[in-house]
Amino acid sequence: MLLNINKNKEKNQKQAIYDTIILGGGPAGLTAGLYTSRARQSTLIIENMIPGGQAATTVMLENYPGFPDGIGGPQLGALMESQAMKYGTEVVYENIVDVNLDGDVKEITTDNNKYKARTIILATGAKPRKLNIPGAVKFDGKGISYCATCDGALFADKDVIIVGGGNSAVEEGIFLTRFVKSITFVQDLPQLTAEKILQERLFTHKNISVIYNNKLISVDGEDRISSLTVEKTDTKKTEIVPADGIFVYIGYIPNTEYLKGSIELNKMGYIKADKDLHTSISGVFAAGDIIEKTLRQVATAVGDGALAAFSAIKYLEK
Amino acid sequence: MAKITVYSTPTCPWCTRAKNYLRSKNITFADIDVSVDREKAMEMVKKSGQQGVPVLDIDGNIIVGFDQARIDSLLGL
Repeated sequence: MLLNINKNKEKNQKQAIYDTIILGGGPAGLTAGLYTSRARQSTLIIENMIPGGQAATTVMLENYPGFPDGIGGPQLGALMESQAMKYGTEVVYENIVDVNLDGDVKEITTDNNKYKARTIILATGAKPRKLNIPGAVKFDGKGISYCATCDGALFADKDVIIVGGGNSAVEEGIFLTRFVKSITFVQDLPQLTAEKILQERLFTHKNISVIYNNKLISVDGEDRISSLTVEKTDTKKTEIVPADGIFVYIGYIPNTEYLKGSIELNKMGYIKADKDLHTSISGVFAAGDIIEKTLRQVATAVGDGALAAFSAIKYLEK
Repeated sequence: MAKITVYSTPTCPWCTRAKNYLRSKNITFADIDVSVDREKAMEMVKKSGQQGVPVLDIDGNIIVGFDQARIDSLLGL
């Protein structure tokens, strides 16, 4: 009984108004938390997955400075989280269902709790864009995967397709060589666009091929995927390519559904923020992959996180 | 006590999330790493029709992905 009373007390204390609530515990959000908590602002991070966000789905990061031998995405996320928590940032793992960002005190509703804060930093990132072609829904999770890191091992000794040719596609392709028999990239451009060093490494592996200048138009099969159909971008000539599985890296879409139109977005759905990362709503800042910008990397996300935190600190001092 | 099996891979964040959630509720479960256990991987695909992780088996009820609402309702949380 006594325990329950203490528990309730703890819950009531959580009803207090935070100086800053950060939505999203990826590199941007965790860096923002580090800065606001070091400024002695009471800070809460709400994350729905694990620390590190999308970076946590990357086996090895080699282009984040400070780690010459690379660092695993989940490990980097955990380190960033412990660094922010060391200075007082609180972290909860809950799903955001609603926000009320107007007024001096903003309210965040999760599936478990309600939280209040004077400033908000939006850092919920982006998620992989899904295929929108015949067969995409039917085979989602049944041969089509958006996370090679997660599901790659289930495609041991299979012939797989990777759709896309950017950094994610090639990095994940290199990871998949541990398991699969062969990889065929389907790329709608005349070249891959991944960093050159990644391309070099990819082609040191056997059984890698690329179908250039083609786009995927359908995923075919009865119970399981048996093949897919690609179409040449100029002549529209189609070809059937046998495959057991498909990994898709065709870009990202921002996680902004929970904002329900309350904040100004660009036409791609990314948040518009000014040079200090203030959004269209007073006291609401944004950082990381969710904002309109040209390069989405851990290295750019941490810079955004620091700046958004600095702006939130200045805002509270006014 | 419900019999729970979590099929996962060590590099899958939603798997980690699902297992962390069960642990936070002091719920014990069998933790199957399908990246090393081919036989169990086949079992998972057969049970769920899925070639993706995590898959949870709670007393024969199959949950695909980290679906907290379904986990809560099956475990009475």
